[in-house]
Amino acid sequence: MKVSRSKRTEEILFKVLMWIAMGIVFGFVISVIWTVFSRGAKAMSWDMITKLPGGGFYIGKEGGFLNAIVGSLYIVGASTILGLLVSIPVVFFLNVYLKKDSRLAYVARLAFDVLFGMPSIVYGAFGFTIMIFFGLRTSLLGGIIVITLLIIPIFIRSMDEATRNFPRDILDASYALGATRWETLKVVVRQIAPGIATATLLSIGRAIGDAASVMFTAGYTDSIPTSLSQPAATLPLAVFFQLSSPIPEVQDRAYAAALVLTIIVLLLSISGRFITNRFSKNKL
Amino acid sequence: MIRKRIVKDKLAHGVMLAMTLLSIVFVVVMAVGLYVKSAPVLENRSLWSLISSSQWKPMKGEFGFLPFIVGSLWVTFLAILISFPISLLTAVYLTEYARPVVRKFVFPALDILAALPSVIYGVWGMLVIVPWISDKVARHFVDFSSGYTVLAAGIVLGVMVIPLLVSLFIEVFSSVPAELREASLSLGATRWQTAKKVVLRKTLAGMLAATVLAISRAMGETIAVLMVCGCVIGIPSNILEPCYPIPALIANNYGEMLSMPLYESALMFAALILFVVVLVFNLLSRIILYRIERSEA
Amino acid sequence: MAIEIQNLNVHIKDNHILKNINLTLPEKQITCIIGPSGCGKSTLLRTLNRLIDSTEGVRLEGKVLVDGADIIGSGAEITELRRRIGLVSQRPCPLPMSIFDNVAYGCRINKMYKRHKALIYAVQKNLKAVGLWEEVRGRVRTPAARLSIGQQQRLCLARSLAVEPQYILADEATSALDPISSKTVEDLFVSLKNDYTIIMVTHTLRQALRIADNVVFMYLGEIVESGPAEQVFHNPQQELTQKYLSGAFS
Repeated sequence: MKVSRSKRTEEILFKVLMWIAMGIVFGFVISVIWTVFSRGAKAMSWDMITKLPGGGFYIGKEGGFLNAIVGSLYIVGASTILGLLVSIPVVFFLNVYLKKDSRLAYVARLAFDVLFGMPSIVYGAFGFTIMIFFGLRTSLLGGIIVITLLIIPIFIRSMDEATRNFPRDILDASYALGATRWETLKVVVRQIAPGIATATLLSIGRAIGDAASVMFTAGYTDSIPTSLSQPAATLPLAVFFQLSSPIPEVQDRAYAAALVLTIIVLLLSISGRFITNRFSKNKL
Repeated sequence: MIRKRIVKDKLAHGVMLAMTLLSIVFVVVMAVGLYVKSAPVLENRSLWSLISSSQWKPMKGEFGFLPFIVGSLWVTFLAILISFPISLLTAVYLTEYARPVVRKFVFPALDILAALPSVIYGVWGMLVIVPWISDKVARHFVDFSSGYTVLAAGIVLGVMVIPLLVSLFIEVFSSVPAELREASLSLGATRWQTAKKVVLRKTLAGMLAATVLAISRAMGETIAVLMVCGCVIGIPSNILEPCYPIPALIANNYGEMLSMPLYESALMFAALILFVVVLVFNLLSRIILYRIERSEA
Repeated sequence: MAIEIQNLNVHIKDNHILKNINLTLPEKQITCIIGPSGCGKSTLLRTLNRLIDSTEGVRLEGKVLVDGADIIGSGAEITELRRRIGLVSQRPCPLPMSIFDNVAYGCRINKMYKRHKALIYAVQKNLKAVGLWEEVRGRVRTPAARLSIGQQQRLCLARSLAVEPQYILADEATSALDPISSKTVEDLFVSLKNDYTIIMVTHTLRQALRIADNVVFMYLGEIVESGPAEQVFHNPQQELTQKYLSGAFS
């Protein structure tokens, strides 16, 4: 029985360690969220999200960061649409046109994995050189292009995941009715719609929160861009730049912007989970 | 009518093939682009002197990357040191013990950690971790520390890496067939013994691959690290000193580099270093993970 | 003494898998559990060593007395119970380690031997008991996965025997094997019944006919009929059993 006890002690010890580990994870989550909310709420006001930076904004005078909110929405909206246009055909191609053990599919998936792992600062640096090459300045267009490139691998990887478990019978059924593979696309898209939805939410989350890539390419401005060639402000950069100011009022705005960004991202994450849960239930 | 449909199908095939190929080519284009841009500095200095020198004086044309490389390594090492045990224990619990109730709470928590943008972690680091280090931790060891240190960057990065590491570990552990666990359990092993001697043992390669992926993620993380690392050029001698990792270097200097071609080239070289590290690490670990996935099927 | 099952009910989520099972499994005999797939044979087996615990949403009611002690209650020491009840599963599953380490695994887990020599001796003894020693001699340090499927199954049996159980549960232990290996393993079970109480789930009636001392026939989670093999096979009391034995359904 002594043996059994040492075995049990080890078991309990590690179980306790696992509980501690999970407790730490929870601690981090709560700490981050609480910090952002408590600090942000103090600085939050209606003006922040409805007004552009006024004169003297950066020395603590009035105004808000509507420019950053709108800029982020412009960039994220455009790049999400562009990203979807590119990734749906690619995912479809990988899963329907190519065979399961296709070499091309393997290499392509590896390439997307590498692109997925690429730090956004590298995208930013690369995007910047490309823009200079084409004679572009920091602009809304530059930001859109780089963010599109950044989220395509995210789109493709997560949609690919959803499509791979896709029942092949449905394809066969469609072919059997005489449909070409291109026509079968519609069937597939309808089937993996929840997968596309979650992928989109995931990508939007990444796109809206990324700072390192737009820093080089979209730049920063106090006004709302009216054309693609004007620079655009973004929320993460609004946080980053204003936080580096020594003036408390300006820092406060950074916290308010951080709060807005966090709320957006949390909403995206929660609705993502909601979609997967609901649709996976329907599938059964 | 039929011909039209078939032509449409063929056309779609061509376009999609082109798109897929383009994305593969994109990796190559990126490599070439960064290389071409960093060529001037590589022509002027030997590769070895660039990565082994610690003299960073762009105005005098001296570009020694050692402080930044060491800074990156320090921060990454610390981040993995913090996140590895936490992630491993969490993943073992979730796959080996796994009461549905616990999952219901832990998964959304991990979701949130994964979803939060880098800049938010930076804000959290500045408000919580940095003061904690400067007020509570540092005074036991050194006279004064601003808190903007290797340690702060390591902690913030560690937290950011946890969700990635947990999800990769879970993926790897789930590849172990249930029968294997049952074989061990039915011999009188406890769950932990089974996890330790069967699951972890069988998935060593996969765990390594997961960790390498986490390392490459940590190495490239920019804004959060930039906000808490202190950004002082120099080789840190302990974790309570500031540091200056490579991504922070690039992000901080993008504005001024335009005026000096060699400076710009040096920064592009920094991006190239990151690119190569991430490329190699990702390829290695993904290939391992694919193998595991295939052997399972 | 052996195993006594009283009013056992097993629910998994909303499904009532085992209904009011009452059964005595006599000592040092082979008891075969037969019945069509999905009748709860495997669930019953997995309840006996509590492997069922890892199934999501499972609820156990009733009593299972192993040597007089109830194993269903929360007070039961499950790992010790599992040591005493060996399991041979349908597909052989060697652990990812050498042949030697496979057999030694349970001994090490349970810290049975202090001296390494004693461990080596025990491994040898058990490999001999399943007739594998001559075949793997000289390569016991090579990975177990390189053995043939039949050899692997015997290795798994040796591994179970090494922790000195009193009971052996076998879940269609020969169904994944070729006919010759299958025969070898079957003969092994017969030779083991002098020392162990063996409970076997089987899909092949012929096998049950050849080796069973007792037979339990299950259908839709209930025991339809149980008793000595002779009686159940040649003089079944229930119409359902007769039908099953005559091959009316399977």
